[in-house]
Amino acid sequence: MEANKSVLVIGGGIAGMQASLDLADRGLKVFLLEKTPSIGGRMAQLDKTFPTMDCSICILAPKMIECLRHPNITLLTYCEVQDVSGSAGNFTVKVLKKPRFIDEEKCTGCGECAQYCPIEVPNEFDMGIGIRKAIYVPLPQAVPLKYTIDEENCIKCRLCQRTCKAEAVDFDQKPETINLNVGAIIVATGFDMFDARKRREYGYGRYRNVLISLEFERLVSASGPTGGHIVRLSDGRVPRRIAFIQCVGSRSLKGGVTFCSSACCVYATKEAILIREHDPECEVYIFYNELKIFGKGFQEFVTRARDEWGVKYIRALPGEVVEDPKTHDLTMWYEDTTENVTKNMKVDLVVLCPALIPTVANKELASILGLDLDEYGFFECKDPLFKPIDTNVPGIFICGYSQGPKDIPESVAQASGAAARAAEVMALAASREAQ
Amino acid sequence: MSSEPRIVAFLCNWCSYAGADLAGTSRIRYPPNIRIIRVMCSGRVDPAFIFRAFETGADGVLVGGCHPGDCHYVSGNLKAEKRMENTKKLLKLLGLGPERLRLEWISAAEGEKFAQVVTDFTGTLRRIGPNPLKAKTNVNNPIDVEAVVSEALKKTNVQYCVECGKCSGSCPVSRVDNSFSPRRVVERFLLGFEDKVISGKDLWTCLSCYQCSERCPSDVRFPEFVRACRSIAPRDMLEETCAHRGIPMTLSRIMINPKIKQDRMGWLPERAQISKRGDLLYFVGCLPYLDILFEDFNLELIKTPQSVVKILNKVGIKPAMLPNEKCCGHDLLWTGDLENFEKLAKLNVANIKATGAKRVVTSCPECYRTIKKDYAEFVGELDFEVLHMSELLSELVDKDELKFEVYPERKVVYHDSCRLGRQMGVYEPPRKVISSLPGTQLVEMERNRENALCCGVNAWLSCNKYHKEIQMDRLKEAKATGADLLVTTCPKCRIHWKCVTSEKLPINPDEITMEMRDLSVLVAEAMNLA
Repeated sequence: MEANKSVLVIGGGIAGMQASLDLADRGLKVFLLEKTPSIGGRMAQLDKTFPTMDCSICILAPKMIECLRHPNITLLTYCEVQDVSGSAGNFTVKVLKKPRFIDEEKCTGCGECAQYCPIEVPNEFDMGIGIRKAIYVPLPQAVPLKYTIDEENCIKCRLCQRTCKAEAVDFDQKPETINLNVGAIIVATGFDMFDARKRREYGYGRYRNVLISLEFERLVSASGPTGGHIVRLSDGRVPRRIAFIQCVGSRSLKGGVTFCSSACCVYATKEAILIREHDPECEVYIFYNELKIFGKGFQEFVTRARDEWGVKYIRALPGEVVEDPKTHDLTMWYEDTTENVTKNMKVDLVVLCPALIPTVANKELASILGLDLDEYGFFECKDPLFKPIDTNVPGIFICGYSQGPKDIPESVAQASGAAARAAEVMALAASREAQ
Repeated sequence: MSSEPRIVAFLCNWCSYAGADLAGTSRIRYPPNIRIIRVMCSGRVDPAFIFRAFETGADGVLVGGCHPGDCHYVSGNLKAEKRMENTKKLLKLLGLGPERLRLEWISAAEGEKFAQVVTDFTGTLRRIGPNPLKAKTNVNNPIDVEAVVSEALKKTNVQYCVECGKCSGSCPVSRVDNSFSPRRVVERFLLGFEDKVISGKDLWTCLSCYQCSERCPSDVRFPEFVRACRSIAPRDMLEETCAHRGIPMTLSRIMINPKIKQDRMGWLPERAQISKRGDLLYFVGCLPYLDILFEDFNLELIKTPQSVVKILNKVGIKPAMLPNEKCCGHDLLWTGDLENFEKLAKLNVANIKATGAKRVVTSCPECYRTIKKDYAEFVGELDFEVLHMSELLSELVDKDELKFEVYPERKVVYHDSCRLGRQMGVYEPPRKVISSLPGTQLVEMERNRENALCCGVNAWLSCNKYHKEIQMDRLKEAKATGADLLVTTCPKCRIHWKCVTSEKLPINPDEITMEMRDLSVLVAEAMNLA
């Protein structure tokens, strides 16, 4: 039976991709479902990775391509799970394939259409600081490299249709339903960022020069909207002093979430090093409450940042960021808790490190899959010690950030674990059938 | 005990005291009811002394000074005269009667006059009877320090402090006075230096503006922690840091006495319609008193309740009011006098209930917070709804019941008072009301709503150079918006700002001087009721 040989992986980020590749390499059929037009996830947005400072997309893109090329993996991009029934070994899944208005078979990804498209909108992939057209690929390394028309912003001028030599544009495309029969499901839906606007004292959303960390990743990335030049969004000036603020919304009993996102201290350190690499003249400060740097090689990484790169760490959470309306320079007020003095500091750019929270869509997905969610929206595991990957539904497994806060290596390790657990279910189902 | 009146006399060193001395050496007979306190000048007699004398049972207070023109400090006696007039007005409001206070010019040569004044004053006091506050015996209940501390720790989440310093980075005082830090106060307390914290000055520095607790990731409610500590703190620090020598608090305490029958409704506008009972009660607050205390500022504070009554009458509401309304107790609560606060709370709740009111409207943000939040905490659930005038006005705007007639083109900036804004979350109603006024453009300060900067002083505590800086800072911010008018709902914000602008300033006064208006007054003006 087909069912016993295939697995559905929900979420095309690094965890979902790793689980898919592991399963596919075992000879199982994998459906890798992703709701955006391209797989890659959050890791694709990053410039470098800690603590090795690898170029993120450089190590990710080959994996993305592998997912595309693997004979056992079927990519279901721009798709959403609508309904799931059945049980371990035999799930029936109804998938909604949203219309791209592009014939994926015909589109060559040449990009001519986007050149002519007159509509420009903020690019979600660049966290809104860059722009894209209404017909677009989210990132240059998109997999699959097929364009998508964003129905919401498209004005139906049909310039793209006239330009496309492959005749791939098809405005008559309708949403399609795909029915799958799978033996196991792996959920890896990743994270969203806590809305930093909620902490109004830091001025995010009001002040152009207050960014959140993912925006900064795009700013510093060579494939980002500024080609990797660190400039202020208000006036394009090169900043001379940049400050990072940790724990925006995380580890808060009030006005946020109580847990630690586990990656911010280290990624802020990474971003600080990047700034110093780009521009040794630029001062970088990291305002923290506690440095949670527990992973392998992390402490050394921070020590290196401090001693070799001259990143300055200040133990304080600033109370407020105020903008000078004329110059758009920012003043931060904080108490240096090692010196016991309340001070202010003028900076050109502030980068907030908001809590990483489970995606809001988890709620709907959990109700479709029959999974339990904890109070924050993480998928509940069966046992936090011995069954961290299993859920309350046999045959459905979780991995990556949607299971709990973690960084990339941990997500990858857990994804392999989830793949192994899923393979067990498949093997059991197959042996039962054989009997 | 006999009902012989007892007079406390403050006599100036140069004239009246010498006059009394002359009466003695000349063996002139006068009643033995007087207790004399020598002061260098009648101008030294603070109204606080007088209220304190009455609070502790004096039947009459005599202030004696040099004849006009004879003052050894040029004009001390004239200043005393002005003050005594003011004090008499307050005594009238309190229901104690202005005749219990007497100011006399007695020169060193007027022994006869001194004796005659004392005789006459004693006679007057015999006629009007003893001070109703006399019977009062103020026995303070012993405070269980341990219990207060452990409850404060529990209730205010102080134990959860992670010492991130976000409080100090937010605190308006810490910015101007480096020595103050909420974080360090908590740290010292938790490290076991409780005594130092409780007897220290920092306890009286906090503005209770809630800026720190608004932003605290651990939900530490520092102002409430400070409030609890103040209730067990020695009183000498309070005396040292409290402005106006605590007159507002003394007045509040006097009001607790059941024999006090205030005469506080004199401000009611002509043809105002009010009732004894009714669904909606207007709680006026201290404005009749503040209006006299801060007469020199020309803030026309009394216009606020007048406007409220006029607006309510205009929309057909005859508000119930309390002719013997007591102070809400806000300042007592925040200076740690929990015992008297609770008494006031009980009295007010009982009086409000007696009117059958279902809704209580206040125009003062402090009364609003105190009744709605603190009464509920100290006295128990209230069976009436409490709302701020801005909320009621906003309701009336929604129902289109306010008819505006005057159309001045104006740019208005609104200041969120700490009590109404951060503490009670009433941000939008006042803005809605202002925006609904024809010709009025509402602009915002850089720091608004939950980020609004405090006006600089709370509960009359710690009015010093640092707090003045905060006041100037806020006014600069308001001025920078280019608005013509600064609107707020809190009378105390206006008092503090007016105070700072009427002082000698280190900056150009034009940078901070602004026309100010209470929200209700603004609305009444637009309705052509003022």
